[in-house]
Amino acid sequence: MTVDQISSAADRSSAATDTGRAPATAGPRISMTARRHRAFYLFTSPWIIGFLLLTVTPMGYALWLSFTTFDGISPNWKYVGLDNYRELLNDPVTWGALGRAGLFAVTSVPLSIIAGLALAVLVNRPLKARGLFRTLLYLPAVVPPVGAGLAFKLLFDPNSGATNGVVTFFGFEAIGWLADPYARYVLLMTVLWAAGNVMIISLAGLQDVPRELHEAACIDGASAWRTFRSITVPLLSPVLLFQTVTGMIASVQTIMPLLLAPLGDTSGITTVPQSNYLYMMHVFAQYFALGRYGYASALLWVLFVLILIATGLIFRFTSGAVFYNVDPEAKK
Amino acid sequence: MHTQAGAPVSRRRFLALSAGGAAAGAAALSGCAMQVSTGVSGSGETVTVMVNSGDILPEQVQQAKKDLGIKIVLVKYDITKLIAMLTSGNPPDLVRGVGAEDLPFFAARDVAENLDPYFARSRVLKEDDLDPVNDLWRYDGRTQGKGPRYGMAKDFSQDSMYWYNTAAFDKGGADYPPETGPVTYEEWLDNAKRLVQRKSGQTTVFGGSFNGLTRSTLLATMTAAAGGSLFNDDFSRVDFTAPEARKALAWYIDYCKTKVGPSLIQPDPNGWDGPTFQAGRLAMSNSGYWLGGMIYPDKKLAAVSRLAPAPIFAGGERISACQGGTGLWMPRGAKNKDAAWRVFEWFFGEEPAKARASGGWGIPTLKSLRSLMPAQEEYQKRVLKVQENELKHFSVVSFTPYTRADALDALFNQIAPAAMNGQISVDTLAGRLNSAFNEQMKRGKEQVG
Repeated sequence: MTVDQISSAADRSSAATDTGRAPATAGPRISMTARRHRAFYLFTSPWIIGFLLLTVTPMGYALWLSFTTFDGISPNWKYVGLDNYRELLNDPVTWGALGRAGLFAVTSVPLSIIAGLALAVLVNRPLKARGLFRTLLYLPAVVPPVGAGLAFKLLFDPNSGATNGVVTFFGFEAIGWLADPYARYVLLMTVLWAAGNVMIISLAGLQDVPRELHEAACIDGASAWRTFRSITVPLLSPVLLFQTVTGMIASVQTIMPLLLAPLGDTSGITTVPQSNYLYMMHVFAQYFALGRYGYASALLWVLFVLILIATGLIFRFTSGAVFYNVDPEAKK
Repeated sequence: MHTQAGAPVSRRRFLALSAGGAAAGAAALSGCAMQVSTGVSGSGETVTVMVNSGDILPEQVQQAKKDLGIKIVLVKYDITKLIAMLTSGNPPDLVRGVGAEDLPFFAARDVAENLDPYFARSRVLKEDDLDPVNDLWRYDGRTQGKGPRYGMAKDFSQDSMYWYNTAAFDKGGADYPPETGPVTYEEWLDNAKRLVQRKSGQTTVFGGSFNGLTRSTLLATMTAAAGGSLFNDDFSRVDFTAPEARKALAWYIDYCKTKVGPSLIQPDPNGWDGPTFQAGRLAMSNSGYWLGGMIYPDKKLAAVSRLAPAPIFAGGERISACQGGTGLWMPRGAKNKDAAWRVFEWFFGEEPAKARASGGWGIPTLKSLRSLMPAQEEYQKRVLKVQENELKHFSVVSFTPYTRADALDALFNQIAPAAMNGQISVDTLAGRLNSAFNEQMKRGKEQVG
């Protein structure tokens, strides 16, 4: 049987199935549509199984826990309905942690996007040793967070760290970087330090901007800033939207303060300076220090819903500003 | 209904199959992950021990296999993993724990094995050879320090004792603390203020560190030293407004406020006193005898390091408690208890115990091993004399079974910085701590029943 014959047989079979008639040949036949369905499910099944096993199951379990007082090992835990959610709504510590997490997100996300985009624009220019610069700027993003946390801790040691060495060299008083209120700035710096991640994605976006548009703008006499504002940024808007959404999700879930915890060890999870006591640290403390699995699970579910809402709002309010360069025919 | 071979799989059926596969996979994974104690393995038995790296060395594991015929499988200590293993019914056979704070918690929840029958018939660990510190591992259903034994400490220190650096005292022009009698907490703080060295707002030498193992055990111990008790009779509540507890709290907040040593508002990035003391950047450290294990190998440091008795409060009792007593306990659900007990005996009474005793990292918990404590050098003899004298004042400060010390520390660390920064008074802090601690312990009491 030739390839053409196979193809025409499959088409006949498909047509027969689609019209509801039995296939002309005897025996079980598989239509092309069925084959496609089977192939789809076969190829996606590892992900679907993983999703069910590692995402849906734990989330469902956490949802169940959020209605209980389960603490891991105590014998008398019980179902308490919505009590954990009620407590959460009236817990000023939770609201404080949520507020700090929100503030951290609205500060760190724009700053890291701007920093990453600026770096991308710089290393997109035809420079000598451009590859080396790109590598060097991206390196911090691949440093393990624990290593980065320890390095920052030593760098900002108020008594023997290099940062205060510089500060005192210029005649200023040393600053207690790792305690309130400065700890929040150190945290922000750790995020900006790893802006190479944002840079790489922005760089990919920049290289997708058609050169002829820049050339046309140049011929029309547009300045570099005007070209950047009116051509580059709109064409990069889907990338910027992606970075905003993923950045927001990552920043509200940050646990980097753990690495900056001053006293370390088992109590390290709870010795984060107050200004860095973000929502996920609160969740972490509820789970692992206070043993309140039920309450912590409720906190996580609330965070999940809030992230969904925030993502929806971002999409809604940016829908007019994001320019999708998609061929309408390709949608079919 | 059966699906015909070759027929397309419906979405509904596919999802059902996937869910089934996922459930089966979860069960299989759960079995793989948690089934760590097999009971019998090959010719010998296998005992799973959950410890920190360094508690049992790989060469000791090899030696145990040779000497006892038991294979030891080490699992890294992790409280969440431990809870998962306990919940799934496959706990390790032996688990690391801090006697002073962990034992009441686990014993009250009925997950720890009563080891009295094992101790009764042991030829290695005899009742009259056990140091009183092992009482931290006893719990009678109400009070720590009484009742059956649930575990044993591997070594210990009296954690309010402090090491001091004579060079720092010389430089600060302060008299060395007496070695036989205690200073008061107020005198300790005065010394720390005198010894702290600062330059351009940077602390180049801390005057002293006084943080204890956890803030809650520290405050419980200090309250006892002031003549009171942090907890009420049934350990379900605290009262920081009681005069003795308030005294302890006020002293600790004062210590933090003055910034003479590491605290929440002036963290030491080293995370603990050891490296800072070693670098000559800490004049006093309340670490107890065990820090000697780090000090002795450095002859230069050893020559300027001395140990002093635990401070007292003026008019208070002279007590010198152990805030740790780290050791092992056996979960009730352990699969291989007899073999685990043999490992327990070996770990606490045989080669590993002897190696620990001679290292200077802690006081052995068997009286018969005391003679192995390092006393070759002059400075070691001096330290040993102070330590031996201090043992007369040892006491067990009972801790609440209704929560873990970490939980109280978490609450303390959220609430106390405001007082350390002078934003709220000690009395306001005491009130807030009472509310937060008592709420946490109330929840714990409800769950224990």
